[in-house]
Amino acid sequence: MSFLQAGNIHKHYGGATALQGASLQVQAGEIHALVGENGAGKSTLARIIAGSTRAGQGRILIEGNPVTIASPVDAQRLGIGMIYQELDLFRHLTVAENLIIGNLEFRGGSMEAFCHPFLQQVGLGESARRMVHSLSIGQMQLVAIARALSMNARLILMDEPTSALFEDAAERLFALIAGLKQRGVAIVYVSHKMDEIFRLSDRITVLRDGRNTGTVETAHTSAAAVIRMMIGRDLEAGQRAPRPLGDVVLAVDGLSTAKLKSVSFELRRGEVLGIGGLVGSGRSELGAALFGMDRVSAGAIRRQGTLGLVPEDRRLQGLMMQMSVAENGTMAVLPRLQRWGFLRRGQELAEMRGVAGRLGLHCRSLHDPVATLSGGNQQKVLLGRWLLVNPDVLFLDDPARGIDVGAKQDIYRAIDALAREGKGVILVSSELPELVRCCDRILVLCEGRLTATFTAAEATQEKILAAATSTGGHA
Amino acid sequence: MRRQLLAALTLASALFSAACGTGNGKRQLLVAFSQANNAEPYRAMQNALMQKLWAQYPDVKLVISDAQQDNSKQVAQVETFIRQKPNLLIVAPNERAALTAVMGQAMEAGIPVICLERDILQPNYTTYVHSDNVAIGRLAGQFIVDYLTKKYGQPKGNIVAMRGLLGVEGEINRDKGASEIFQKYPQIRMVADPVADWIQAKAKDRMTEVLRAQPQIDVVYGHNDPMAVGAYLAARELNREKEMIFVGVDGLGGPAGGIKKVTDGILAATFVYPLCVDKAVEIGNRILHDPAFHPDKDYTLDSLMVTPANARQMYDKFTVP
Amino acid sequence: MPARFQSFAALTGIVILAIAISPAAADGSRVFLQTGNLTDILRQISLIGMIALAMTFVILTGGIDLSVGSILALATSIAAMCLTRMAPGMSYPAHIALAIAAAVAAAGLTGVLNGAVIATLRIQPFIVTLATMIGVRGLAKWITQNENIDIGFGRDVAASFAALFREKAIVIGSYALAAALFALVLARTVFGRHVRAIGDNEKAAQYAGLPIRRTKIWVYTISGLLSGFAGVLYAAENHQGNPNAGVAYELDAIAAVVIGGTPLSGGRGSIAGTIIGSLIMGVLTNMLRLKNVDSNLEMMIKAVIIVLAVAVQRERESA
Repeated sequence: MSFLQAGNIHKHYGGATALQGASLQVQAGEIHALVGENGAGKSTLARIIAGSTRAGQGRILIEGNPVTIASPVDAQRLGIGMIYQELDLFRHLTVAENLIIGNLEFRGGSMEAFCHPFLQQVGLGESARRMVHSLSIGQMQLVAIARALSMNARLILMDEPTSALFEDAAERLFALIAGLKQRGVAIVYVSHKMDEIFRLSDRITVLRDGRNTGTVETAHTSAAAVIRMMIGRDLEAGQRAPRPLGDVVLAVDGLSTAKLKSVSFELRRGEVLGIGGLVGSGRSELGAALFGMDRVSAGAIRRQGTLGLVPEDRRLQGLMMQMSVAENGTMAVLPRLQRWGFLRRGQELAEMRGVAGRLGLHCRSLHDPVATLSGGNQQKVLLGRWLLVNPDVLFLDDPARGIDVGAKQDIYRAIDALAREGKGVILVSSELPELVRCCDRILVLCEGRLTATFTAAEATQEKILAAATSTGGHA
Repeated sequence: MRRQLLAALTLASALFSAACGTGNGKRQLLVAFSQANNAEPYRAMQNALMQKLWAQYPDVKLVISDAQQDNSKQVAQVETFIRQKPNLLIVAPNERAALTAVMGQAMEAGIPVICLERDILQPNYTTYVHSDNVAIGRLAGQFIVDYLTKKYGQPKGNIVAMRGLLGVEGEINRDKGASEIFQKYPQIRMVADPVADWIQAKAKDRMTEVLRAQPQIDVVYGHNDPMAVGAYLAARELNREKEMIFVGVDGLGGPAGGIKKVTDGILAATFVYPLCVDKAVEIGNRILHDPAFHPDKDYTLDSLMVTPANARQMYDKFTVP
Repeated sequence: MPARFQSFAALTGIVILAIAISPAAADGSRVFLQTGNLTDILRQISLIGMIALAMTFVILTGGIDLSVGSILALATSIAAMCLTRMAPGMSYPAHIALAIAAAVAAAGLTGVLNGAVIATLRIQPFIVTLATMIGVRGLAKWITQNENIDIGFGRDVAASFAALFREKAIVIGSYALAAALFALVLARTVFGRHVRAIGDNEKAAQYAGLPIRRTKIWVYTISGLLSGFAGVLYAAENHQGNPNAGVAYELDAIAAVVIGGTPLSGGRGSIAGTIIGSLIMGVLTNMLRLKNVDSNLEMMIKAVIIVLAVAVQRERESA
C-alpha cells in the first residue's frame, strides 16, 4: 500500500489556476521525483501535502486513511516534513533554536543535546549556537534539512534542495537521502536537475500546467523523454559556434576586500568568463566589489565603459515585486525615457517589447505585476533591465538558479548573443555543466582566493570541483 | 465586487443605527452648543449643567459638539451648525482669534449667538456671558495677604504660584490680579512660579522641585484647583503640608471639584470661577421665547470665595446631580 | 482590481448614506447637498489633505513622517510673526509673500534635515521624525514664547493676509492644484517611479543604481514644504500663529493615506486613493455632525471605518 495518496488536487490563486486535478502516490521508503517547469504546480502540490497551503479541492490518504492537513503542525503529526526552497528559518535565532521551535519531537531537556545528532548528520556539528543570519545560503539549507530530520518525518518533501548548493554539499545531501531511504523514509524530490533526478529517484511524476502528464519508473525512461513530458517538445543541442575575442574591457589586479584576497584577471570583449566556487567562496562579493558596493582595501580595477550587475537573489536584490514587468525592465534607464520631465510611456513599452522579444519573455501583458510571472520569466525581466542599459561589462550572478529548463536555454542564448555583440560577460554559477557550456574561460574561487583558471576545452567538472575545494594541486 | 457591497452595507447599517439614535422629533427649537473641549472638569461641568437646565424646556432640543481643544475642528463644527440653522448658537471658544470669523458668519446667517466665558477678537455675538479673572486674582491675592498678616503680625512671607498654560487668558489675568495685590507689600516674596499647564500631575512634579529648593514656603497659589491639589500632594509626600496653605481657583462642585477639597481640609480656600451656564441659559431662554427681549452686550458674573466656613453650603449649591 | 476602486466604492457608499440621513433644510432640500456644505467639507479636509499628499510619497518609499504637525505649528508661528511684528516698509503683497516664503522655507528646511539624516545616517524614519516632531514643537513654542500670535480683523497687512487666504476658493484651489500635481508626478515622472521602486525593494533599487539618497531627501523636503504651506493656510483660517497647532495631524494624514489603499510598507499606492481617503474622513465627520451624533461615538465610528477600509483591501490581496 502507498504511504501517501493525493488525488484530484485543485488550487486557484485569485484568477490563476495552479493545480487542476493533480495527483501523487508515494510508496514508503521510495525516492520519488516530482518534476515540471516552473509554474507547472509542483511546488504548490508539495506545499499542500506539507500543510502550508490549503487545497481548493482534493483528497489525501495516509496509509489508506483519509486525512485533513490544514497546517504544518497537522503534517508533522502525520510524519510529513518539508524543506522549502525559500528556507523558512528565523534569521535572528540560533541554529539550535530553529531546530526546536514548533518541533513536537522536542520535549524539554538540553536543546543542544537534542540538536547535535541531526546537525552532525548534515555536517553542521559545531554550529548549534551560531545565528542563522551569519550562515551562507548553503549552510542555511543544511539547517532546514536538519530541522526536517529532527522532526522524525516518514515522508520528507524537498523543494529544489540543491539549487543553492555547490556540488560537495549536494553530494552530502545525496548521501543523507540514501541513508534516509535505508531507514524507510520516503522522499519527494522536487527538482529540475535531470542528472540528480536520474541518479536518485525510483520513480518520476511529471506535471505540466497543473495536471499529471505521467508517472514513470526511472530505470525505464530517459532524460530526453522526461523533458518532452515536461515541456512538450525536444531541447536544442548545446553546441555553439566559436566567438571572436576583442580588447581587454576589464582588468582586475590584486583586488582585495573583506572577502576577497588579491584576485587578478582580465576580461575581453566577446568573452564569457565563468566564475566557479562554493557558496561563500567570494564569487558574489566579487560582483559587489566591482560594482562599488563593498570597500576595496587593495588592488586596482580598470574598466572600459559601464558595468551592469544581475544579483544572485532576484526576489531580495533584483526585482520590485509589486511593480509591473515594464516598470521593472526600464528601471535603470528611466532618465533617457523622459521628455520635458515626463516619462514617455509609449517609448517605454516599445523598448521593453524589443527586449522581451530578444529574451523570449512570456507574459500576458507588460503591465502585469512582475510577481505573477514564473521564476524564469522574472529572471528574464531582470536580465532585460541590463540589456536596456547596454553596459560594456555584465556580471551575472547565478542567473539560471532555480528556473526551468526552457528559460535556461533562453538565458544561455542571450549570454551568447551579448558576447557576440562585443560585451564582456562574467557568469557566476553553481552548476558546473552550465559553466562548461557557456564560458570561454573559467576561474575558480576558494575562500576569497583565485585557485585555478581553465579554458573551456580543458575544464571538467572534476577539475573545477577540486579547485573549488582546494583539495589538490593536480588541476 | 460582492464583498465590497457587503462591506458597504454593513457599514451603512452600522452608521444608520448609530446616527438614528438621536431621533428626528417634531418641530422643536434647536439650541447648538459648541464646546471647546470636554476633557477638563470645568468644561464637563458646563455641559452637565447646560443639559440639566435646558431639559426644563420641553420644546428645546440641545446638541453639544466637542472640539477636543482643536481650533480647526471647532471652526468646522460651528460651520456645520450654521448649515442646520439652529434657533440659538452658544459657543465656548477654544481660542479667541480662531473663532472670530466663523461666529461672524453665524451672525450674518441671522442666528443669535451667545459667546460663553472666553472672549473673541471682534464682538461677533449677540451677547457675551463671562466672569472676570482679574477680579478673581485680586480676591485670591487679598485672601493670601490677610492670611500672612494674621500668621506673622505683618504682611510678609514666601509664596509659590502654580501657573497654567502660558498665553491663555485665564492664566494671564489670574496672575495679573494677584500680582497687583502682592506688589504693595515688599516683604511678600514670590519664591517660585513654575508652569504646570493646568494639570495636577505636572503640578506635583514642579512642586516637588520647588520644595527641594525652598526651605520655607507659606502659601501656594494655584491658578486652578487641580494644580493646588498637585502641589499639596507633593508637599505631603515630603511631610511639609502643614508648613503652608494651598489656595486654588475654579471652585467646581461635585466629589472631584475644588469645593470638596476645601471641606476635606486640603485647600484653605478656592474662588468660584462661574460656569456662566446658568446665566447663559436664562438669557438664551428669553431670546428664544420672548421676541421683545434685547439682551445686553455683556454680562459679567461675580466670583465667590469658598472657605471651610461656607464650603458645605457652596458644595450643595454648585453640585449638579 | 486596484485598491483605489475599493476605496472609491467605500466613499460612494458613505456619500449615499450621508445623503440618505441628511436632515432637510427649510426648503425641503438636503442640507448635506447644499453647495455651502459641500465646499465646507472640501475646505475642512484641505489642510490635512495636502499633508496627506506628501505623506503618500513618504509612505511609498517605506518611510513615515511624524513631524508634519509640528512643522505646521512652526509655519503658522513664523507667518504670523512676520506679518504682525515686522514692519519692513514694503507693499502689502510683498510683505505677505515674504511671510509665506519665510514660513514655507523654514518648513522645507526642516524637511531637508529629516531627509538628510534618514538617507545619510540610515536611521529609521520613525525615530528621526519623532525627534523632529518633539524638537520643532519646542522651537515653535520658543520663538513665540508660548504665546499665540493673534491676527486681527482690521485693515493692516496681517488682516488682509488672513482675509485672502481664508477664502474657500484659495484653500480648496490650493488643495486641488497640489493634488493634480502630485498625481502627475507619481504616475508620469522618473521621480515618481523612483519613489515607488525604493519603497518596493530598496536593495534592488541600489543594485539598479537608482539615486536612493537624493530621492529620500526630496520626499521629506516635499513633506516639509507642504506642511509649511498648510501652516500658512492654518494661520489665515484661524487668525493666529499657534505653536500648539496641528497636534496629531500626522495621524490623521497617515489614516487618510492608509484608507486610500497605500500600505505602510510602501511600494504600492496612489494619490487618487489618498484623496479619496481624505474625502471619506471629511464626509464622515460632516455627516455625523449634521446628525449631531455624540462626539465620543463619532470617534468610535471612525475607528471602525479605518479598520474596515483597510481590511477590505487586504481581503482582496490575499484572495
